[in-house]
Amino acid sequence: MNAMSRDTALVRITDLHKGYGPNIRVLRGLNIEMKPGERVVVIGPSGGGKSTLLRVVMGLEEIQGGAITFAGQPYISADGRKTRIDTEVRKKIGMVFQHYTLFPHLSVLQNLTLAPCKVVGEPRAKAEERGRAILARFGLEAKADAYPSQLSGGQKQRVAIARALMLDPQLMLFDEVTSALDPELVAEVEQVILNLAAQGMPMMMVTHDMWFARNVASRVIFCAGGVVVEDGPPEQVLGDPKEERTREFIDRVFHIKG
Amino acid sequence: MSLDFSILLKFADALALGLWMTLKLTVLCVVLGSTLGFLIGLARASENALIRVPASVFVEFFRGTPVLIQLFWIFFCLPLILGVELSNLASATIALTLYMGAITSETFRASLRAVGREQMDACTALGLPRRVQITNVILPQAVLLAVPTLLSNCISLFKESALVSAVGMADLMFIGQNISNNTARPVEVLTAVAFLYFVIAFPLTRLVTRVEGRMLRKLAA
Amino acid sequence: MDYTLDIGAVTRNLEPLFQGLAVTLQLTVAANIIGITAGFGLALLVLSRFAVLRVPAMLFVEFFRCTPAIVQIVWFFYCVPMLFNVFLGPVTMGILALGMNLTAFNAEAYRAAIQAVPKEHLDAGIALGLSPTQRVLNIVLPQALRASVPVLLTNGIGTFQQSALVAIVGVQDLMYQGKTLATQTYRPIETFTIIALFYLAVSFPVSQIVGYLERRRGLAVR
Repeated sequence: MNAMSRDTALVRITDLHKGYGPNIRVLRGLNIEMKPGERVVVIGPSGGGKSTLLRVVMGLEEIQGGAITFAGQPYISADGRKTRIDTEVRKKIGMVFQHYTLFPHLSVLQNLTLAPCKVVGEPRAKAEERGRAILARFGLEAKADAYPSQLSGGQKQRVAIARALMLDPQLMLFDEVTSALDPELVAEVEQVILNLAAQGMPMMMVTHDMWFARNVASRVIFCAGGVVVEDGPPEQVLGDPKEERTREFIDRVFHIKG
Repeated sequence: MSLDFSILLKFADALALGLWMTLKLTVLCVVLGSTLGFLIGLARASENALIRVPASVFVEFFRGTPVLIQLFWIFFCLPLILGVELSNLASATIALTLYMGAITSETFRASLRAVGREQMDACTALGLPRRVQITNVILPQAVLLAVPTLLSNCISLFKESALVSAVGMADLMFIGQNISNNTARPVEVLTAVAFLYFVIAFPLTRLVTRVEGRMLRKLAA
Repeated sequence: MDYTLDIGAVTRNLEPLFQGLAVTLQLTVAANIIGITAGFGLALLVLSRFAVLRVPAMLFVEFFRCTPAIVQIVWFFYCVPMLFNVFLGPVTMGILALGMNLTAFNAEAYRAAIQAVPKEHLDAGIALGLSPTQRVLNIVLPQALRASVPVLLTNGIGTFQQSALVAIVGVQDLMYQGKTLATQTYRPIETFTIIALFYLAVSFPVSQIVGYLERRRGLAVR
């Protein structure tokens, strides 16, 4: 057995550097070790690199330095100018975006079955059966044959979550999934995520909703200036932050909130 | 002067024949031209310069010169170059197909680009291979997005097809002009010709507006 | 092919071609002046609240948009003199025919640009206490005019190309001179290719400018 396979972390991010162009550096040597079963909420000021971090973990971005392993396997690394991404490992991660990104020309059920049928070659009937089961769990069975344009924002986002779950991911990423929603639709989406959390799904998310963060997180990371500033259980980071920058941020957010 | 639209009745059959020729030519060149346009549109999106550059030159040339010259060129020059006689119909079909190919390639190219970056991200997050991204996500949306503009392209082609009268093809315009010259009644005859083009093109333009609204709503997810 | 190219047949006769180009440019510029100004007025009529103004304006626009330009030009040259007993000289007639066609297309461009100004901007204008006239002058028109520039340029260059049609009714433009030269010299390949390049030499830079403006606009909107 080599050293790698004894790694108990689900995701290990080491000295991650990421910028856009020569002048904009978003992540500056960021380190995170996420253990299996953890639910990590990343908070921090805008421009602090939260969403970029999630996009990097999803394998959507090039990086300029550092490495990420997933369940002990090498996943992403910066190799000179090039970014190496193991696409097999990437398939174990699911992501839900702020703007739903459902495929508008496909029905709800077709959105769900596209990846299982095309990526793993699952028989269509089987995939449809599983798809309908997930939709039923989310209270969306009546919408299976509707098109995205016929759904409310909350319904779209629940379909997007269902679509990501079709591939049985070992980690879910949620990038500000309720930010584009009308306030009265936020709860239905958060409920779905809370249910997933209760079932033990590991997740990493970015959210501005501190109430939700406290409810769902097993761990909160405060990111600012492209590095981890504070990292700990939610009641500590949100309730009694040690770092001055975290305290300022939390005070401001809660002050605005009410 | 006194107008006498009743003379049109005498020539109704001839005008109908001309209109039939116009429609046949339009449909034929719509089919051939949009197929060509689709291929050129893909070629222009190619990463290989040997494919991309000639396709771009072709499009710029056809979009940058009057259709009348293209038609004359095909009609007078192509037979000399190929050393074979080309029938009126063959020359007209070639010319209008090339024209349609050039304008629809722009339509396809723009719609390929209009499928947003977020859709690609979603594909990556779902682990879809490149081939599936293109055939199942990008192309279907691009084609749907292209539909309204393609319809407009068809209307343009329908109107441009009147140019073939200038090289002696017996389409609606040619027959109309002949009748007008022979009867010395241009006002009645040419107005009727214009009206015939109008009653076909106008409903189509309305259709474009409706289809456009529907596509935008449908794809606005 | 059994045809030897002889570019000299054309280059020895460039003078009529340049005369033709001058006529073509004259037609284009004059038609564009008509189209850009009258098109704006027509767009305002199309957007009018009063059906008496709106309906005839819309009919004008739709008629020109839905019939072939060659039909319009032939109609204009044959029918206007008969109906109104006037003939103003071929170039003037050509300018008017092309100008009316462009007016219709530009009116459509202005209308689309005016209607594309987001309603929120008008709401903001109301919220800021601007009068209806101020809202139109300060909020709607500056945005709409800027937005319509690429389409106006595209339409303008379209008219440049369409001006070749007046050769059919005997106006001595570039196309006409080219066709005459091709017949006189029996050199269609050289002649038609060279006049095609003449047209391309004017169209291409303008279409590049349009592309540049649209890209810049696209970036600005994002």
